[in-house]
Amino acid sequence: MAARYAQYKRTWYFLRRNTLAMVGLAIIILFAAAFVYGLTYPASSSTPVQYCASNGPVPVSPDNPCYDAPYIVCTYPSGTVSPGPGCYQTPPDNPNFIAPTFTLAHGLGAFPFGSLVYPSADLSTSDPLFYNTYTMLEKGTVNSVGLSVLIVATGAGVGLLLGALSGYFGGWIDEIVMRITDIFLSIPAILLVIAVIIVGKSSGLRSFDETLVLIGIAFVVVWWPFYARIVRSQSLVVREQRYVEAAKASGASNGRIIVKHVVPNSVYPVFVQMSLDVGTIPLLLAAITFIGFVLFPYPLIPEWGSVAAAGASILTAVFTECGVKGAVCAVPWWQVAFPGLAIFFFSLSVNFLADGLRDALDPRLRR
Amino acid sequence: MQMWVYVVRRAALVIPVVIGVMTVLFVLISALPTVERTCSFYHPSGRTSPCTTQIPCSTDPSKLCPNPVYQSAVNALGLNKPIFVQWAIYIGNALTFQWGYVAQGSALGTGETGSGLPSLAGQSVATVLSEFLPYTIELALLALLIILVVSIPLGNLSAVYRNRPIDQASRVMSFSGYALPAFLLGSLILAGVTFALGGPAAPSKICGGTSTVFLDFYGSWPTPPCTPLYGTANIGPVGYPAWLSIGYISTPTGFPTVDSAIHGQYWLALDTLLRLVLPALVIAYTTIAGLLRFVRNSMLEVMNQDFIRTARAKGLPEQTVIKKHAGRNSLNVTITVLGLTFAGFITGFPVVEIVFNLWGVGRIYAYSVVGGVNDWDFGVLFGTTLLFTYLVVAANIIVDIMYAYLDPRVRLG
Repeated sequence: MAARYAQYKRTWYFLRRNTLAMVGLAIIILFAAAFVYGLTYPASSSTPVQYCASNGPVPVSPDNPCYDAPYIVCTYPSGTVSPGPGCYQTPPDNPNFIAPTFTLAHGLGAFPFGSLVYPSADLSTSDPLFYNTYTMLEKGTVNSVGLSVLIVATGAGVGLLLGALSGYFGGWIDEIVMRITDIFLSIPAILLVIAVIIVGKSSGLRSFDETLVLIGIAFVVVWWPFYARIVRSQSLVVREQRYVEAAKASGASNGRIIVKHVVPNSVYPVFVQMSLDVGTIPLLLAAITFIGFVLFPYPLIPEWGSVAAAGASILTAVFTECGVKGAVCAVPWWQVAFPGLAIFFFSLSVNFLADGLRDALDPRLRR
Repeated sequence: MQMWVYVVRRAALVIPVVIGVMTVLFVLISALPTVERTCSFYHPSGRTSPCTTQIPCSTDPSKLCPNPVYQSAVNALGLNKPIFVQWAIYIGNALTFQWGYVAQGSALGTGETGSGLPSLAGQSVATVLSEFLPYTIELALLALLIILVVSIPLGNLSAVYRNRPIDQASRVMSFSGYALPAFLLGSLILAGVTFALGGPAAPSKICGGTSTVFLDFYGSWPTPPCTPLYGTANIGPVGYPAWLSIGYISTPTGFPTVDSAIHGQYWLALDTLLRLVLPALVIAYTTIAGLLRFVRNSMLEVMNQDFIRTARAKGLPEQTVIKKHAGRNSLNVTITVLGLTFAGFITGFPVVEIVFNLWGVGRIYAYSVVGGVNDWDFGVLFGTTLLFTYLVVAANIIVDIMYAYLDPRVRLG
C-alpha cells in the first residue's frame, strides 16, 4: 500500500512539472466548477414559447413541426414589405418579437453571453433563465461533461475485463475476442452509436433516464474494443512475468490472478486512454446532436452540440437570405461560437492533462 | 510468399469480419418493432403503405381492420420465420445490395427535410446512396490528398528539427485539431472567408446578378439565378441544366468535376473543385492532428537507427540521408496509422456536408436520423452504416497491401 502511494506521489510530481498539463488541469477545474453551478439550475417547468416562421407563438414539443425550425431575424427599412416566411419586420408589426442580441449585461445574472433565438414573449416574467445563451451553456456543461465521464467509466470497465481475459488465456479465446474487436472497429463510431440509440428509442426507451442508459450502452458497445486491445497487449506481457508464475505455483486460481495481478498492472495505459477519451467524447456527442439527431429534446435539455446546431442553421439561413434579399441582418454568431469554444477548451485541457499523464507514467522519461 | 498470395489471403480474412458486421447490424435491426421493418424494407406496389398495422376497414371506415399490405410485407420479408433464417436472408440481401427502400413516412420520404430535397419515397436505398456517393468520394479524395501532402512533410520536418519552432507549431496544430469540433472549424472558416471577401451581402465573384460571396462557398453547385462571369455554364436564369437534376445529383457519373468536364463546362468543373477545398480542409485538419504525432514519432525512431548513422558516416549529404533513407522507412508506420484513422475519418462527413450545404452521402445519412421517431428512415440508416463499413474495410485492405508491398518482411513473415 505504501509503495503504491509513493508511486502516486511520484506521478503527481512529474505531472506538476509539466506546464501544459497544469494549464489543462486549471481549465478542467473551471469546468468542474461550472458543472457544479449548473446543477443548481432549476429544471424548467414552464413550456417555453417559440416563434415559428409563419405562425404566432407555439408551444414547444418534439412533435410540433415548428419545434426546430430555424428562423431568420432581419430588420427592414420601414415602409418595405416583409419578403417572406422567416423574416420579421421590426415592431410594431410583431410587438412581441424581441430580436436576439449579444449583450454583456442583460440584467439576467452574471456573465450573460447574449440571448438566443428562442425569445420569450415577456423576458421579465416568464422563465428567463431558459433563453440566455449562458444558461444554455451551463446546462449544456452539466449534460455534456456528465455524459462524457459516465461513458468513459462504463466503456473502460467492459473493455478492461474482456481484454484481460483475452490476453491472459490466449489461444482461441484470444482469437475470437480479437476478431470481434476487428468487427466493431470496422464500423465507424458515429454510425454505430446512432444505430444503437435509434433502435433503443424505437423500442420505446424515450424518457430522460432511459435515454441516458441507452447512450451509455451505445458508447460502451462502440468503445470497448479500444480498451480491450490496450489491456490485451499489456496482459500478454504481464502473464509472462515471474510473479504470475509464482502465483500459479502457489495455487492461485485464474480469477484471482487476473484480478490481483493482471488487471492492476495493465491499467496505466487505460488511465491515459480514458483521459484522452473524456476529451474526444464531447466532440462525438456534439457531432451527433449537430447533424440533427435528437438525443434529448432541445431546448428543454440542451447539449453543447444542439445549441450550436440551432445556431449554425440560423447562421447559414441568415447568410443565404440576407445578401440576396438586401436586408440588414442580425447574425447570432454567439450561438455557434460559444458552445464550440466550450467544447474546444474542454477537449484541449483534457488532452493536455492526458498527455502530461502519459509522460508522467512513462518510466523511460523519468530517468 | 508472393505478392498475389498475400493479397488473396488478406482479402479472404475480410469475409468473417464483413459477416460479423452484418450480424451486428442484424441484431440491431431485429430489435426494431416489426412495423418499422416492414415500412423500411418492403416495397409496396399499391397505394396502401405497409407502415401501419391497421387501416380503416373497407366495409366500415370507422373501424380498424388488419392491414393486408402489412401482412404480406411480413410474409415477404420472412419476419415470422426463425431468427437464423432471418439472419441468412439479411446476409444475402446485404451482400446483394438489397438494402430496403426509403420509407414513406420518414423525413426523406415525405421531402420535409427543410433543404429542398424532394421526396425520395419508394426508391431503393442502394440506388439513392449510389447517386450521392460519388460526391462524398470526391470530397474524401481531396481531403486525403491534403492529409498526405501536409502531414508527411510536416511530420518529417518536426522530427528532423525537433523542438524548434516548426515542431512547436505542429504540436499546436495537433492539439487544436484534436479538440476543435468540425462544425466550429467549418463555420469559422466559412464565415471568415465570407467576411474576408466583403461580407455576406457582397456580390459574388463567380456569378453576376444577385448572388453573394457567401453562396460562392456554400453549396455544391452555384445557386441559380447565376449569370456566370466566366465561361458559359448554364446555371443561369434558366436554372440548373438537364444533366444536373435540380442541383443535387449530376449525371452520368455523379462526380461533379468529371460530369462538368464531360459536358464541356470546364469553368464549372473548376468551380466545383474550389467548393470542395474548404470542406476538405476542415476534414483534413482533424485527421492531420492525429497523424502528425505518429509521423513525427516514427521518423524519430528511424533516425535513431544504425543504418542512418552509417549513411552519415559514409559522407552522404544530410538531405539525402533524410529523404532517401529515413523518409522511406518511416512511411510504413504512417500508412498503418492512416488505415487506422479511416474509421474516424467518416465522422466528419455528415457535419461538414451540413455546414457547407453539400449533397453527399453524409447529408443523406443526417436526414435519415434527424428529428423524432416518425422521421427516421431505417433503410437509409442501416444502408449507410453498411456502406461506410464496406469502405473502411476496403481501405484497410488497400493499406495492408501497400504495407506489404513496401515492407517485404510482412509478406515473408
